[in-house]
Amino acid sequence: MSKHYRVSADIGGTFTDIVFQDSRTGTCGATKVLSTPDNPALAVLNGLQAAIPADIEIDFFVHGTTVGLNALLTRNGAKVALLTTKNFRDIYTIQGNDRGEIFSIRWDKPEPLAGLEHTYVATERIAATGEIVEPLDTGDLDALVEAVKREGYEAIAICFLFAFKNPAHELEAAAYLQERLPDIAIALSHKVSPEWREFERTSTTVMNSYLAPVVRKYLDTLIGELKDRLPAGRGLHVMQSNGGVMTAVSASETPLQTLLSGPVGGAIGGKALSAETGRPNLICVDMGGTSFDASLIIDGLPSASNEAKLEGLPVQMSVVDIHVIGAGGGSIAWQEAGAMRVGPQSAGSNPGPICYGLGGTQPTVSDANLVLGRLDGANFSGGQMTLDREATTKALAEMGKAFDMDAHAMAQGIVDIINAKMADAIRTITIQRGIDPRDFSLVAFGGAGPAQAVALAQELRIGEVIVPVHPGAFSAWGMLQTDVRHDFKETLYSFWDLMDVETLDAAYAGLADTGRAHLLEEGVSADAISFERAVDFRYYGQEYVLTIPIPDGPIDMDAVRKSFDVAYERQYGHCSPENRVEMANIRLATLGRLPRPDNAPPAAEEARPARERDVYFDGAATKTAILDRNSIKAGDSIEGPAIIEEGTATTLLPPGWRAAAIDGGHLVLTRTEASV
Amino acid sequence: MTASADPITTEVVRNFVISCAEDMNASLWRSAHSAIIYEGKDSAVALMDEHGNMLGQSTGVPLFIGAIDACVHHVKEYYGDDIAEGDVFIMNDSYMQGTHLHDVTAIGPIFHEGDLVGFGAARAHWNDIGAIDPGSTMGSTNIYQEGLRLGPTRIIKQGVPIREWYDHLRLNTRLPDATIGDLGAQIAAIRTGERRLSQLLERIGTDTYRAACHNIFEQARRMDREAIAAIEDGTWSREGYLDNDGVGEEPVKVALSLTIKGEELLVDLTGTSGPVAGSVNCGAKQTESLLRLAYKTMINPDRAITGGSFETMSVKIPDECMFNAREPAACEWYFTGLGLLADLFISCMSEAMPERSTAAHYGDSMVAAFFSVDPKRGQWIAIEPTAGGWGGRADGDGESALINLVNGGFRNIPAEVMETKFPVRLEEFALRIDSGGAGRHRGGCGVIRRYKLLEDCFSALWFERSRTPAWGLNGGGDGAKPFIEITLPDGSTENILKMRARGFETGTVVETMTGGGGGNGDAQARPFDKVLADVRQGYVSAKAAWNTYGVKIGSDMLVDEAASKPRN
Repeated sequence: MSKHYRVSADIGGTFTDIVFQDSRTGTCGATKVLSTPDNPALAVLNGLQAAIPADIEIDFFVHGTTVGLNALLTRNGAKVALLTTKNFRDIYTIQGNDRGEIFSIRWDKPEPLAGLEHTYVATERIAATGEIVEPLDTGDLDALVEAVKREGYEAIAICFLFAFKNPAHELEAAAYLQERLPDIAIALSHKVSPEWREFERTSTTVMNSYLAPVVRKYLDTLIGELKDRLPAGRGLHVMQSNGGVMTAVSASETPLQTLLSGPVGGAIGGKALSAETGRPNLICVDMGGTSFDASLIIDGLPSASNEAKLEGLPVQMSVVDIHVIGAGGGSIAWQEAGAMRVGPQSAGSNPGPICYGLGGTQPTVSDANLVLGRLDGANFSGGQMTLDREATTKALAEMGKAFDMDAHAMAQGIVDIINAKMADAIRTITIQRGIDPRDFSLVAFGGAGPAQAVALAQELRIGEVIVPVHPGAFSAWGMLQTDVRHDFKETLYSFWDLMDVETLDAAYAGLADTGRAHLLEEGVSADAISFERAVDFRYYGQEYVLTIPIPDGPIDMDAVRKSFDVAYERQYGHCSPENRVEMANIRLATLGRLPRPDNAPPAAEEARPARERDVYFDGAATKTAILDRNSIKAGDSIEGPAIIEEGTATTLLPPGWRAAAIDGGHLVLTRTEASV
Repeated sequence: MTASADPITTEVVRNFVISCAEDMNASLWRSAHSAIIYEGKDSAVALMDEHGNMLGQSTGVPLFIGAIDACVHHVKEYYGDDIAEGDVFIMNDSYMQGTHLHDVTAIGPIFHEGDLVGFGAARAHWNDIGAIDPGSTMGSTNIYQEGLRLGPTRIIKQGVPIREWYDHLRLNTRLPDATIGDLGAQIAAIRTGERRLSQLLERIGTDTYRAACHNIFEQARRMDREAIAAIEDGTWSREGYLDNDGVGEEPVKVALSLTIKGEELLVDLTGTSGPVAGSVNCGAKQTESLLRLAYKTMINPDRAITGGSFETMSVKIPDECMFNAREPAACEWYFTGLGLLADLFISCMSEAMPERSTAAHYGDSMVAAFFSVDPKRGQWIAIEPTAGGWGGRADGDGESALINLVNGGFRNIPAEVMETKFPVRLEEFALRIDSGGAGRHRGGCGVIRRYKLLEDCFSALWFERSRTPAWGLNGGGDGAKPFIEITLPDGSTENILKMRARGFETGTVVETMTGGGGGNGDAQARPFDKVLADVRQGYVSAKAAWNTYGVKIGSDMLVDEAASKPRN
């Protein structure tokens, strides 16, 4: 019987991580190859070739891509013309009025993706009820037709006021333009984002137009290059910002959803880990060289939002919440006015930390970890690199002179400060939202995560840390754990007490029909399709909404109302059952379950023998065991201090902590002493 | 001081006081009952040492930067040694803490192992404090019309709420439940600070903490001193006028002089109008707070504000001054004069620090409100501050359509939300062409918002700065003044900038226009391509391009360089 694999690839700026899973046994393996930014498919092919024998069939492939995001960051998207309602030409440039930095008089709004000189207007107006106040004057569109020919626009985004209520004018304008400009891509706001708030909807629609050609070209290339290794058509999937996957064909149509495709894998991995280990509440932290990403799993589900901001520009779409701060192995220590600071500036990978010997001169967190004995200078990155401990110690000692501290005290200080900052980032997403981190386990991954995890847990008084299998490739692992998902929505504003259940049912049924057709077209079988309904609620007089799930089955209006009070109470500590409630949007997630095996622990590999070296804990050099992760079997228990090494990460187990391997091959670290 | 704190501990404590204040504010926002606090973020919190020196703070409204410490001093002065663990005090007196009576500050001592180690404080805007009108009163002429006035008042004694004070508060507001709910949120914020500080002290000890705080004060002082010392000594003066005090017609003078001498910065408001009949008076503490905000925009703007900041600045306000409000001066719209004061300060500093020169901005909150009662919605109100233009800078144009300096996160109401919820149609929302002051670096443009009333309802307006619109610097031109036109259904029109609540009939159109920012530098030096881009994008008309910039733009939308004036 030939072997079948499910494969995922997390295509990052420096490395491409590949995880492969035997479709039958569920066993996973991982590999890491250098990324090839000019043609990302090349790195994927290299990885596949290195890790997967040619006789193995790949029947499912999913990948996270930063192509869309990079096009946005480097402003390399399409040249877009924007068409709006007359008298509202400037809404996309005016944006929201608010100042991004409240103490600054020099703050500028983010540059729009289609400026005023690329904005065109048409006489037309639709009222809040959907009634036509002023008909569309298609004669106004001729200026845009001329401009497209003259200026060479690659795409048109149309956003008319209240198009989500009545799309007639957007459709009419699109038809008129397409007839005269058959080759240009036209995006309509009521299709891209049928949700109120004209600035945010315009921004979403323009962003879609801006990214579409880039993402499409990338996917076409990838499909072409991988056609010999992948099943034709439906086997190629892309990770979405909402935590689901979609086929590459769908991704070409809704490129927006690929924007946060990379980092979301970690959160979805967290969700799978939550189910697998029976722990409903997880704080997932991903620490690499320059950034620290934190996300939450609450009651088994990733915390999510219905709007994101990218480069300061809002996008109305479902996203898994990822909180990012500038803290990583490359964060630089510096001084000012007799004070010591760490980050947010990073040495990156070039020149990188001093210890890399590539010209870096400013001490970083990785340098500090090396001096403290926590990194293996002789065998870094699986033996691919040797670190310069002597130069690093000298630089730290030099910096310490100003503070009358030696190199080891400086190194400990740098690590303490960065840990305090990361702990604060976690406080922001937990304590500040009324969530007690002590009810959570901390999941640490990314190259630098497992080395800092216990210190973070101590700072936050968290009692348990999980270092999952393949911590360096955990995001890619997460991508294998999810289903096809598409989100649909509609603005349906009303007082809840004035809404009748028939209207609501009909609205959800309409969304469900669209969703089902979409999934069937993508090859999902009818019996694998399910739906999740939700509605945006708020008390009358409020602006912010809470999205409240509606259970399957007939809608019980009173029960939904009560569940809003409960959710409100949980979020804000009190609720007002006597207040009137407004509904703003209805939402429907359409899910297509993918067949997949249960996860199995990685195949046993030969372990390097245990060693010993001096590692600094609390300022004192301590003889510490250095173990290979492959040597730790299920049921083993290891007392700290110890360092557990594997190809992509180093786990630091301080004194007072114990590590054990659990089912699935994950390491669980717990404290053995009473809390200090 | 015997204990010491190494730089690592100091940096950890410095991060702690900032993050502790953020936690406190988040706790306040999370549990507040009123949208003005948890959405409008009209609040501020601070963590202070046992003497009331500010250590860390977090604010939703920039204007609240550093004025809370005064409240601790008042509490200490009033209660002396009679301050115990678990106590909470509140106060709102405009003359003691500086703002309007809506802003109520709660203060709690923080003890550790029996020692007083600090204070936590949380200020929040209460929607109704029992004034003559619901919400914000517009025509008050003394403080007694503005609501309940509280000096330092203990409302919780050693953890036990004092019932008669809670009842007293309930009896003096139209919104008793929300008010007590918001107070509870402020107390929760203080408790959050208390809890986090205790956890830190358990770990590092009180002595080390105090030593670290001492270092933090020293470091912030040193950074400020170094920044001021780097500026050449000198004295600069500026003045301007508010349109009126809100009830009369007379302009109100605001004057500021600024001296830099060595490491010190002195501000003197001598020459400013005495107390006025309307409600634009402001307590000295809040005036100082505004000056700290203005200072922060120029000195070390990218550094966190911690204890020790601002100690290089001293402020002199005459006894008889609208910015040193005393009984019975009305203070409800205290912030209107502060916008102008900030511009005067920044213009003086712009001469001292030409590389950071920034011209004046449009200057006030420019509030438009529409409201009524109807069977479907009940009582409804659509109220919003309006954005305008900001001043041109030494190295770039001023931003357009941005909220004023004393506010921060306020957003406009989208047309699609306004029209769905209220019987008001937004007919136009656009940049106001030619409203930005001309200059080498142009001032930003104001905006036009045109509202049409679809049902009979009331409207109220508060627009300012027509007598002293945003001025230019270094030869740059002034921004346009604000302008409002009301067109009644019979076609007659009226121009008015401030208006107490007035009823209007269906079909009335209210068109508001905010001012632009001042220009910076000579308009004749603005490069051709920039003027051309302005015309193409609609910031400047082709006519103004010629009249003020001397740039001829043809019907082909290109610069006719031969016909244009040469660039200076």
